Amino acid sequence: MSTIITTHSLTKSYGDRTVVDGLDLRVPEGCVYGFVGPNGAGKSTTMKMLLSLVRPTRGEVRVMGRRMDRSTRRELLGSIGSLIETPPAYAHLTGAENMRLVQRLLRLGDGRVDRAVRTVRLQDHLDKRVRAYSLGMKQRLGIAMALAREPRLLVLDEPANGLDPAGIDEMRHLIKRLADDGITVMVSSHLLDEVDRTATVLGILGGGRLLFQGTRDELFSRSVPDVLIDTSEPERAAAATEPWGGTLDEGTVRVPGLDHPATAEVVARLVDARVDVYGVRREDRSLEDVFMDLTRGRGL
Amino acid sequence: MTGRAVANEFAKMRRLRVAPVIAVLVLGVTALSCLTTFTYPGFADMAQDPARRPWSLLLASLGLAVPLLSPVLLAVVASRQVDIEHQGGGWLLARTSGLSPGRLCRAKLAATGSLVVAATLLQSLLVAVAGVLAGIMAPFPAALWLGSTALVTVVNLALLAFHLILAARVPNQLVGIGAGVMGVFVVLAATEMPAWLARLVPPWGYYALANPAEVGTDGAAPGEPAALSVVLLGAAACAVFLAATARLDRQEA
Repeated sequence: MSTIITTHSLTKSYGDRTVVDGLDLRVPEGCVYGFVGPNGAGKSTTMKMLLSLVRPTRGEVRVMGRRMDRSTRRELLGSIGSLIETPPAYAHLTGAENMRLVQRLLRLGDGRVDRAVRTVRLQDHLDKRVRAYSLGMKQRLGIAMALAREPRLLVLDEPANGLDPAGIDEMRHLIKRLADDGITVMVSSHLLDEVDRTATVLGILGGGRLLFQGTRDELFSRSVPDVLIDTSEPERAAAATEPWGGTLDEGTVRVPGLDHPATAEVVARLVDARVDVYGVRREDRSLEDVFMDLTRGRGL
Repeated sequence: MTGRAVANEFAKMRRLRVAPVIAVLVLGVTALSCLTTFTYPGFADMAQDPARRPWSLLLASLGLAVPLLSPVLLAVVASRQVDIEHQGGGWLLARTSGLSPGRLCRAKLAATGSLVVAATLLQSLLVAVAGVLAGIMAPFPAALWLGSTALVTVVNLALLAFHLILAARVPNQLVGIGAGVMGVFVVLAATEMPAWLARLVPPWGYYALANPAEVGTDGAAPGEPAALSVVLLGAAACAVFLAATARLDRQEA
């Protein structure tokens, strides 16, 4: 699958503070790329660098096979829709008037604007002033403005921020519909659950660094859940597994970071110590747990 | 894209009440000029006597009315036209549409500047018409009137450019309006300043330099507007505005 965004060692520093550190992003064309990380992880700065709104301190961005910088920005932005920070709109104008501003600036035909408005299902509210819009409607208008240029790539920075559950659900469906139409969507969020339901590829950012990039399954496969061992004598079992980091957790011995051979070794050790082993299992982990481990710096 | 950006600026003026503010400027300047002139002691006799220079009196009144109202109202126009970008995320929307903040500011100057030029010409015309209707018999000094109007237009545009940049750089619009109010005091002080001192407080001090006549106790004392100084102000304002907008272009989002 070809990539629509590629970055090499993308870095942004303000003085001696590095907010984005050596990112090597690969966003496959046609996917929904969930760009996840806690607040302050550097997601917005990265997205701004992708759009050449912020100059990288080091590294480069390539979008649709071309280097993105000040000299190519205007041309490339013609094929990229974006919604960065708050949804843009002039509150004193109606939705239709706001759309006309974008239409005039980008010399777009009526058909494109109509399609964009219908895609976000805002056609019945265009005559209202934006001041009277709910946050969800403003988000949809912002996306319509981005879609009107019929982009190949849509960059959405925390589009569900501040939305109520119904609005979030609507946003998810919208992103899925856009992806079905062949648009690559890069969507950021500080909530994994929010992008997990739509994203086909995940990029997890923490402290300005890319901690993981790949599919959901790859994320799970690289994660090593703790081994939980039920025994007849938990205290003795915990002591026997101490060299592997075993601890007692509510009557069960918990041993972190064991691969399959190490697990067998631990069980053999317990048998040698004449501790009856009733059961050995891996802890069930949600994607959220994996994410928390990553962003707390525990690694996979 | 610049033409389309300027057209968008006119579209954004809808419901911003820019037109009423411009109307207040035109009508206020006209009314103040007429009131000052027509209530001047002995104006009725003066109007019949070309030797007492009734047109100079009217021009001097216009030269006083313009700087009394323009600083605040131009600050309001600039503020209203720029604040919508701060409030509505317009800077970022423009950037992502390929229109840099500096070019957006230049489009704003083109749009609001055309209104200010029209307003300055209209208020000058209305005051001249009022003079004719008031029965001034002396020949109309067209060259002096037009020259003075052109100089005031240059000062108005320089002031508007200053306020647009200020409003773009400082999101709190009270700062711009405050600068406009302060400008009125500077203008009042500048009318009493020698020309060399008025040149040191651009752009407000230049209203005094553009004024070709002064109201005295015995009618208007004709004078020479400092045309060269005002033209230099215009050139300097252009250079500073272009440099400031180029700097905005280099700023990161």
